[in-house]
Amino acid sequence: MQDNLAVEVEHLVKRFGSFAAVDGLDLTVRTGEVHGFLGPNGAGKSTTIRVLLGLYRATAGRVRVLGLDPARQAAEITRRISYVPGEVNLWPNLTGQQVLDALGGLRGHRDLDAERRLVAEFALDPSKLVRTYSKGNRQKVILVAAFAARTELLVLDEPTSGLDPLMEELFRRCVREATAAGRTVLLSSHILAEAEALCESLTIIKDGRLVESGRLAEMRHLAASDVSARLSDGLRSAVVERLRSLGFSHPDPADDEIRLSVPRDQVPAVLGLLAEARAQDITCTPARLEDLFLRHYEVAAR
Amino acid sequence: MTALRLLFRTHRWTITSWTVLLIGLAGGTVSAYQTTYPSPEQRRAATELAQRDTAATLLYGTLDDPGTPAQTFAWEIGAIVTILVAIMAVLLTISLTRAAEDNGTIELLRSAGTGPRTPLRTALAALTLVAATLALGCGLTVGLQSGREDGITGSGAAAFGGVVGLTFLLVAALTLVLAQVAPTTTDARLLGFATLGLAFAIRAVADTRHLDGLNWLSPLALRTDVRPFAHERWWALAAGLLVTLVLTALAATLAERREYGAGLLRRRDRHDDRLDVHSGVGLAARLSRRSVVTWTVAVAAIGTLFSAMGSGVVQQSRQGDVGGFLGSQIGAGDPVAGYFAYSGTVDGLAVCTFAVLCVLQVQSDETAGRVDQVLATGRRRWEPLAAQLAVAVGGSGVVLLVTGLLSAAVAPTVISGSDVAARAFGYTLGQWPAAVVMAGWTALLIGRWPRLSWLAWAPLLVGGTLALLGDLLGVPDRIENLGIFHHVPDFARSGADVRGLVALLVLAAGAGLLAVAGSLRRDVVAR
Repeated sequence: MQDNLAVEVEHLVKRFGSFAAVDGLDLTVRTGEVHGFLGPNGAGKSTTIRVLLGLYRATAGRVRVLGLDPARQAAEITRRISYVPGEVNLWPNLTGQQVLDALGGLRGHRDLDAERRLVAEFALDPSKLVRTYSKGNRQKVILVAAFAARTELLVLDEPTSGLDPLMEELFRRCVREATAAGRTVLLSSHILAEAEALCESLTIIKDGRLVESGRLAEMRHLAASDVSARLSDGLRSAVVERLRSLGFSHPDPADDEIRLSVPRDQVPAVLGLLAEARAQDITCTPARLEDLFLRHYEVAAR
Repeated sequence: MTALRLLFRTHRWTITSWTVLLIGLAGGTVSAYQTTYPSPEQRRAATELAQRDTAATLLYGTLDDPGTPAQTFAWEIGAIVTILVAIMAVLLTISLTRAAEDNGTIELLRSAGTGPRTPLRTALAALTLVAATLALGCGLTVGLQSGREDGITGSGAAAFGGVVGLTFLLVAALTLVLAQVAPTTTDARLLGFATLGLAFAIRAVADTRHLDGLNWLSPLALRTDVRPFAHERWWALAAGLLVTLVLTALAATLAERREYGAGLLRRRDRHDDRLDVHSGVGLAARLSRRSVVTWTVAVAAIGTLFSAMGSGVVQQSRQGDVGGFLGSQIGAGDPVAGYFAYSGTVDGLAVCTFAVLCVLQVQSDETAGRVDQVLATGRRRWEPLAAQLAVAVGGSGVVLLVTGLLSAAVAPTVISGSDVAARAFGYTLGQWPAAVVMAGWTALLIGRWPRLSWLAWAPLLVGGTLALLGDLLGVPDRIENLGIFHHVPDFARSGADVRGLVALLVLAAGAGLLAVAGSLRRDVVAR
């Protein structure tokens, strides 16, 4: 076990009957980073997170969270973890403040000042009963409890699904403050912009299996850029011919606008060729996380 | 129509088990009344005594002349069935209306292109169907025994079935009105039960004080008003139906004036109280506080009422003249001990219901993800279940202790005899091991076989049936003693045999340990 790893999962399998919700997954989260955990619905993100917290027992594989095995030392781990589930259900007959009191009291230590500050920042009315709260307000209660607690690792399972854009911005600030304070964040998300803005590294899973994992910067590097340009009639066939020789086989010679998905290392060559041919309206868009993401999803849809 | 099918699909188990239980209770006990009194003279004497006895009158109403087996059946079992059917009506009506609003099913239904009135109409249609089934089932099972049992006639059975069905529908309509008013689902349910308590009290006062007019105000007195196998006043059924229609119309009107998920009365939905808990037990105790208080008040009221009304029965029993259901309850021993053993069984049934419901709470917390929240603060896996079990055990103790103390204070003022206070207290508190065993059993199911948690009710149903109807149905003693309510000794006598109670506690402890061990070995259930 390396000290600089907050989460270390090797070949995790979690079966429910004959259905493998997670099937040989690897996941590594370095201490102090924000790690994005992405995947379509039913990919096994929440199942993996529940194994990390010791709520599910792994069928097979090696799991270490903060250096401990959640199957045997769940309480020792969760004492040092803040957890925000995707769908927050609280005790309907308690007020928001009482829920914070209960969670803080059960944990045994809490930061009252941080709690008060966050309640004010999230614009939460803590004296209202939970049953009158909307989904977003219930989520705020748990986010306040999570960020205010003195914990080392934040496990956030689609934490912003009920928040408005303003609160999402605040959420991002809280995550940055948390990492600035040396805390580690595992962020499962659907919102690519959120992951792109916050995460240093990513794990993408599908059908319980690892699809891609690594630093966001490196993954971008591997992805293709979108290039588009408009060509004048006379030069079109010549340009298409030269593109073919570079390995781009499909541009339609009859169309006056061409669109290409160009691997990063070929971008200068393609752009040079287009400039030379005096193409107009040349655009080159670097890979977004969405493209990485959709590329894997499209395969799944087939 | 689809909405109605959906609703029956969702509630099929609840509806089926209640219906089968009630029809079985009505149809299965008729023949027992034929054999209770062998000779007409004995029957005559027993009838006269029952008619004069305040406690019996308070519990069941007045027994009609000449006291045929059919009339005694309609009097005793009729009273029990109408009370049960009323409880079913309150529970079912609330779960079809306000509870379905809380969990979002009605929202889904309304967003699927159905009109705003559809949910209420669907619920009404379902309740009417259930009422019709109950009426038909009870009427048929009783009516089929005409000719074999004295006094059972086709029209009497029809009137009896009508009473059962209409009592259900009447209470359901009343609950429907309350459901529009009450601020929350829990309040609506509580209000429903409080109304039932009031209805019982009105009926009891009307019958004991011979104020027949008062009976027209209580839905639980419909049986008294109609009098199956005696006067058979069909117009009373028609009047009841009319009131039901008026109440339904009122509920529909009120429904238009309230917001979805809220009642006409505003709830107090904010306060600044803080919460000072540091353990799972602390949290469970705080969350169960309201239900413990409610159950304590209800059980103490009912239990003390039973104790206070025992004088006539005890007196009568001394003369050896109590038969039927009550006679089977009291048995042949010391009348004071016999009576308190019976009222203690009633307390035991109530407190066991509390114990099961209280432990089951941890399961709904688990499926809702609240157990996740507790565990994520660094608590041990076994703690939520163990904490809820502890609260159920402690809460049952509180309920019985208060009931026992109150009964012991009141009973000696109305019942003469030896050790009245001690027995009133002992027989009440003596049911605590039964409640503990029920809590342990429920925890065991949740800990090891969470999908079978509905079986939690099985020992309560079996034990209750054995305790209340075992003798009447001629169940042998050794089988009857397998029930959980039969083990309380007469503490007033020296050398009381407490082995049964110790056995219950040992069983409960074993179940509790297995429950906790089981919870360690299984996944936390997610939605």
